[in-house]
Amino acid sequence: MSTKIQVEHLARVEGHGGITVELNDDGAVSAFRFDIFEGARLLEGLVRGRSYEDISPILSRICSICSVAHSLTSLKATENALGVKVTPQTELLRDLLYRGESIQSHALHLFCLAVPDYLGYPSVTALAADHLDAVKLGLRLKKLGNSIQETLGGRAVHPVNAIVGGFGKLPSADSLVALRAALIQGVADCETTIKVLASLPVAEFCHADTVFAALSSPENHGYYSGDEIIVSSNGQRQSVRAADYRSLSNEKAVPGSHAKHSSFNGRPFMVGSLARLTTNAQGLTERARVAMDDLGLRLPSDNPMDNNKAQAVELVHDVHAGLAIVDRLLRDGIKEERCVAVRPKAGTGTGVTEAPRGLLVHSYTYDDEGRIITADVITPTAFNVASIENHFRSTVEQSASKDVPALTKKLEMVARAYDPCISCSVHLLQRRPSVDV
Amino acid sequence: MSKTTVGLFGLTGCAGDQLVILNCEDQLLDLVNAIDIRDFLMASSANDENCELDVALVEGAVLSKRDEEKLKQIRARSKALMAVGTCAVWGGVAALNPEADRAKLLEEIYGNQGAQYDSLPPRSLREVVKVDLNLTGCPIEKGQFLSAVSSLLNGDPPIFPEYPVCTECRMLENNCLLIEKSKVCCGPLTVAGCDARCPELGIPCVGCRGPVDEANFSSALAMFGEKGIPRERIAAKLRTFAPISGDHS
Repeated sequence: MSTKIQVEHLARVEGHGGITVELNDDGAVSAFRFDIFEGARLLEGLVRGRSYEDISPILSRICSICSVAHSLTSLKATENALGVKVTPQTELLRDLLYRGESIQSHALHLFCLAVPDYLGYPSVTALAADHLDAVKLGLRLKKLGNSIQETLGGRAVHPVNAIVGGFGKLPSADSLVALRAALIQGVADCETTIKVLASLPVAEFCHADTVFAALSSPENHGYYSGDEIIVSSNGQRQSVRAADYRSLSNEKAVPGSHAKHSSFNGRPFMVGSLARLTTNAQGLTERARVAMDDLGLRLPSDNPMDNNKAQAVELVHDVHAGLAIVDRLLRDGIKEERCVAVRPKAGTGTGVTEAPRGLLVHSYTYDDEGRIITADVITPTAFNVASIENHFRSTVEQSASKDVPALTKKLEMVARAYDPCISCSVHLLQRRPSVDV
Repeated sequence: MSKTTVGLFGLTGCAGDQLVILNCEDQLLDLVNAIDIRDFLMASSANDENCELDVALVEGAVLSKRDEEKLKQIRARSKALMAVGTCAVWGGVAALNPEADRAKLLEEIYGNQGAQYDSLPPRSLREVVKVDLNLTGCPIEKGQFLSAVSSLLNGDPPIFPEYPVCTECRMLENNCLLIEKSKVCCGPLTVAGCDARCPELGIPCVGCRGPVDEANFSSALAMFGEKGIPRERIAAKLRTFAPISGDHS
């Protein structure tokens, strides 16, 4: 008898999506889809003609949880297009701002969205009834991330202070001292976090050879700087320049799926925390490296559920790395520098960064008055859809029992492990712009 | 007395207003104890999708038939409906160019599949159903959200500012970005409530909270004109998050 597994509204993710898997009479998987139900906002088209100053505030609205990522990636693309080179201090402050977002996003995902699955609760509030300390721990870390975003970005959701050429207002020494205190509490909270996550039941029900792609960040495992993408497969590494990002978005239709699939050399790939650790583990702080052992995370991993462990490792890394940056800023002092002046000119620029969920690309072309002609945005979840769907198939194929409720729970956990951002993923059907300038 | 039953919903948008609610880390656990949250898909997988609700909080704009049907279902089961965030109150960034040819953009961005997309021109909630309370902001401000909820729980009408961002900016004694630096600052026309967040950082207001009631567009446009800022640049900027007077009712 044929079987259909359907999740109409996937809960505890950002945005509106669902899962459909179908098995035919002999138990073979005939369809495996990650369904997207977001409306089309068409923002890439709607910004056409707008001034370079307006682009980041508008396109950051693609997503809330990763609004810093969209905002900073947008600035990087615009600055590349207009030939603006920001100061090392701006780079450092953006690096810290980005880590704040990652702490906030990973804490939200791990404690509020993913951990309830492992312990059999429907929500973080239900979890709080029995595990109040763990929930308070998660909320404290989330608040730490938000404090970093507020101090540097001027707001936790849709930051306003990072602008073309630098920052509106630089952080005061007092605000950095306050952040330092919060980060020191964060260091202690990370120790507890590792204990909590190491005690969760194992989630071993999907194994598959996986290709990983992430921005190269060999020195400090960061999210903002750099423009070389590493694609890693079974220990083999290939390098792609940011400006050549389209070689990673060769989209093709796949039988059984609605979405067009991103692939590199014909193979789907995974982006996000697990991909970053696989390609950049050498840049981790010592404590994060030990956390990898504490959690039993071995790389490269063939289990997508390990993305949750990878997020926990990054949480530890970012709190420690964030503290080091704040200490450096306090030691050296903030230089009172103004934004780099911008002279509008025609040009094309691409910005690639690591959003909490993985590789994010913004690529723009401007006219000689600094008005945007084309905007191309490729989001982490758009890159991940092909890999998510492959892992749906592996999950069902590798499960001896075809019991629908049990399979449904496993599929939901796989989807959630990717930390999908469906508001973002609506940009996944994107094709090449009809006008290439 | 039984607790107020509440549902939190997102139509098309970035989920940023639901995120601001989850970002109330210091109040979140008290908040969920004070009310009875029955339906909150972003945070829970155990939702009652049919029960009657005392209050529905809805963020996002209506951009598809799916959104429209969902909103009507929410309205039908809720005693009070609060539009949460600029998209729900005004249409938000998806509505930034009312003259855009959406069919053409769908085709350009999504290719051949664009025509099959469930896509409608953006509408705010009040253009589709009756809305009892509008809480604006892109995203909403935590303090306003929490005071609106406690007012509702106590049966009082929430009080929101009825003056522009300019007033808040003046109270902070900032130098005026428009008058002194000729920047395109939407502060004179945008409703307050953010403590002049952007001008306070030396950055012109982008108007993300939507227009203040009885905004004086003609006098503001004259002021921008005196600064030599082209009219179409001002109009585009003012329309980024909400329609300007005369776009539609």
